[in-house]
Amino acid sequence: MTQRDEVHASLFVTCIVDQLYPQVGVSAVRVLRRHGVVVDFPEDQTCCGQPLYNSGFTQKARQLATRVLDSFSLSDYVVVPSGSCAAMLKVFYLELFAGESGLQERAAELADKVYEFSEFLVKVLDVEDVGSRFPAKATFHSGCHLLREMEVQQEPLSLLEQVEGLEVAPLPQPDNCCGFGGTFSVKYPHISQGMMDDKVSNVLSTGANFLVSCDMSCLMHIGGGLSRQGHQVEIRHIAEVLEGLPDEGGQSLG
Amino acid sequence: MVEKQNAISLGVPKDDFLGHVRRSLGRDQPLETAPVHLPLTENFADLEVRAKAATERLETIRGELVDRFEETARVRNWNVFRTSSVEESIGYMADLAGRLGISKAARADQPVFAELAVDSALQNTGIELFVAAHDESTSDLRVRQQIIESGLGITGADYAVAETGSVVVLPRKGLSRLVSLVPPVHLAIVRAKDLVESIDDVFLFRRLEYLHKGGDMGSYLNFITGPSRTADIEMKLVVGVHGPREVHLVLLA
Amino acid sequence: MAEVKTRDFVSASDAAMRDASLRRALRQVGGGFNEARLEAIEEVSWETWEEWREVARRTKIHALENLDYYLEMLHDRVTAAGGHVHFARDAAQANAIVAEIARSRSVKIATKSKSMVSEELDLNHTLDANGVEVYETDLGEYIIQLAGETPSHLVAPALHKTKEQVSELFHQKLGVPLTDDIEEMARVARQVLREKFLSADLGISGANFLVAETGTLVIITNEGNGRLCTSAPRIHIGITGMEKVIPSLQDLAVFLRLLPRSATGQRLTSYVSMVTGPRRNDDEDGPEEFHLVLVDNGRSRLLADPELREALYCIRCGACLNICPVYGKIGGHAYGWVYPGPIGAIVSPTLVGLKEAKDLPHASSLCGACREVCPIRINIPRMLLHLRHRLAESPLETENATTTGERQAAQAYSWLMSNPAALSAAAKVGRLAQKPFVSGGKVSKRVPLPLVSRWTGGRDLPAMPRQTFREIWAQGLESEAEIRE
Repeated sequence: MTQRDEVHASLFVTCIVDQLYPQVGVSAVRVLRRHGVVVDFPEDQTCCGQPLYNSGFTQKARQLATRVLDSFSLSDYVVVPSGSCAAMLKVFYLELFAGESGLQERAAELADKVYEFSEFLVKVLDVEDVGSRFPAKATFHSGCHLLREMEVQQEPLSLLEQVEGLEVAPLPQPDNCCGFGGTFSVKYPHISQGMMDDKVSNVLSTGANFLVSCDMSCLMHIGGGLSRQGHQVEIRHIAEVLEGLPDEGGQSLG
Repeated sequence: MVEKQNAISLGVPKDDFLGHVRRSLGRDQPLETAPVHLPLTENFADLEVRAKAATERLETIRGELVDRFEETARVRNWNVFRTSSVEESIGYMADLAGRLGISKAARADQPVFAELAVDSALQNTGIELFVAAHDESTSDLRVRQQIIESGLGITGADYAVAETGSVVVLPRKGLSRLVSLVPPVHLAIVRAKDLVESIDDVFLFRRLEYLHKGGDMGSYLNFITGPSRTADIEMKLVVGVHGPREVHLVLLA
Repeated sequence: MAEVKTRDFVSASDAAMRDASLRRALRQVGGGFNEARLEAIEEVSWETWEEWREVARRTKIHALENLDYYLEMLHDRVTAAGGHVHFARDAAQANAIVAEIARSRSVKIATKSKSMVSEELDLNHTLDANGVEVYETDLGEYIIQLAGETPSHLVAPALHKTKEQVSELFHQKLGVPLTDDIEEMARVARQVLREKFLSADLGISGANFLVAETGTLVIITNEGNGRLCTSAPRIHIGITGMEKVIPSLQDLAVFLRLLPRSATGQRLTSYVSMVTGPRRNDDEDGPEEFHLVLVDNGRSRLLADPELREALYCIRCGACLNICPVYGKIGGHAYGWVYPGPIGAIVSPTLVGLKEAKDLPHASSLCGACREVCPIRINIPRMLLHLRHRLAESPLETENATTTGERQAAQAYSWLMSNPAALSAAAKVGRLAQKPFVSGGKVSKRVPLPLVSRWTGGRDLPAMPRQTFREIWAQGLESEAEIRE
């Protein structure tokens, strides 16, 4: 990277990564550092409040959202390894705080600083090739919030295309929801799993060994189905793939 | 204009209903001035200027319009016969009637049939041709019955729309609503001068005419765009449910 | 009003998921309509499409903001053209109006073209009860009328029926031989209904749009039954929701472009019919009387609610149903009332009562596809969230449907996530507690906790890792040597 002022970014790691997939956060930090970013992690962060917001508990969601506004008030950038949580911060906080003077402005300030992880690499750091290797066949699932709220479509794919040894097979019906939907997945598990079954079939049809996404929530859901149905496809967050594997041995995964 | 019946109103009185709507909108009183909405409030002179400009535009692209209309009409499953010859037009209709093996056809009573002597041509093929219009000797029911018995309905067009491949008919005196609808085959005669570019053109001209006539639209207007269709069973396309299964255009241009 | 079964959403959707022929039908719809829709848009370019959407949305906003003004204008112009306008506050009133017209004019037989509002009112039931034989004439509507069912889609009401089921139905009800030929089925319907059209005294239609300026009712159809209903009988009644009004004839064009493309991918439907009053004296034919019944039936509640008003912009194209992955799994009937799919999940609760239909606003993964395809850019997910909010936190007893369990869960979650220390402690407890259920790094057995078991019924859950991210950060990642190029 050319010499320039250091980029400082705060990681909003998301509660699901913190609690269930910490290695995703580790990979995200390492990839960012590799591109010269000074990463900090405000340790009082927890959840963006989306589960409450989506369940209609707007007041309670506002409390958690206010915490997020506080935690990241001094950040230059807020990088989120999730399209969905990023959308909560960037898009839905504006609705959550609409008309509340003071908070509305702070939500707008935050919105300007929030990037989904792959989006940050491409749009802010101008990264084309992260210089990693991950010899495998993968397919990519784009979460609905990443696609329709963040309007991030090409960024993750363009990064994956440059990964050495990685073959990315296109996923059929790429715009279709996987059926996770947060509380939807436990409120109506029968419908959620019906949608998941379609996604699982599409994943299997690609012959990929890895399913990659920018959202661990979708991956937990689809991966939970793949695993329950006895399929060997593994799930990986895009940060893990972009961190890559150490350059040794040269044998293919999966 | 129709002989006015006294308007009746069942249900809630209009003012109560509108008052409730108004309160739902957060207002107590009717608007003092008309809301501004250009497609409605445009003044008459401007509208006439636009209509004149549209007419001139259509004149300059007439030739191209014919090609475009022919193309879109084919896409919409019209069987298009394009010719500049009146004789060939009549020949096409006679051939069609022969091919259909019908014994009776109905046509509207429109000025276009003064240009096309279709009656004798069809009658020469042994077909009974019925002009679906009233005079002192025909009752409503008889006109309707004749149309029902016809294997082919023939009409002109009030407009033909290049954008959509539609024939627009304005049922009125001489043009029954049923003649383009009830027989299993419909044939429409379209002349170059009937062509407009878009549905906007149709509404511009209709609106101007409506204002000119002091607020009479005429009772009916129909865009006809291909045959009657349904896909209500297993999404499979079937033509000719209720309306014509086969539609023909004689494009005389 | 039509029977309300919205309380049965969970069981009805579960049954729908197990219905193999429904699943097959839904796949056909999803594929067919959506592909056709995209093709039709690409033909005119996305840029043009977005311009049209913008114009249409602005027109709807304006028309609804001034609805009283345009309804008055519509009333005056219909009356001037020789028609009669009737206003109905609710379903009972609307039905009574139609029944009274039928009674006073000795109507024996009525034919109907497709109208979702008449489904909402359950108008056929009223006509039956008043001794009027009423025939649905849209092929799909005719099928479901014979079967004693309700529509399952706004545009294709009988899409849940296979051709075998239709053939069997026609065989039983009409005495025709069984067939697997769909064209033959359509031919039978044509033959039966043609006779009804010609003997009917009354034709009933809905309206896709009402043009205030000219007093014109617009219907958009493909089969031709709408033309017959509005042309052949001696009386025509148009019955529709009051929100259908647009100001000017010139406003109509953009809606004629958006609606068919969004609904079926057609450039224009086979027929667009525009009715202004009854037949004129020197017309060849047409109804002697024209009545327009304008129905509120709960719409003013949507109008009065700034959060929900845009639901009234809907032009009933069905694009949100076709794209919706939830509708695509469960079909229309599971929604339990007339209006299914994403837009139905907003309209139905408002018209039948939020608590009565409390499951519907949650029947969405909030994927946003409906908003993306809506020709009027209606923000359906936003309104679903708003209704969820009212269900969870409304101070009104008539709206709040939160159970104690839900409230406690939300309370606990919110407390935990407000206390990072407690969250860390909970992670430690979780790691120990999960041990009996974990094998191979995942939880694949049923866990006897209400929420978790609803997950693990069909999906594995990852085991909680040895360390949370915040622990890894504090114990070394923070100070890990930074790798620089």
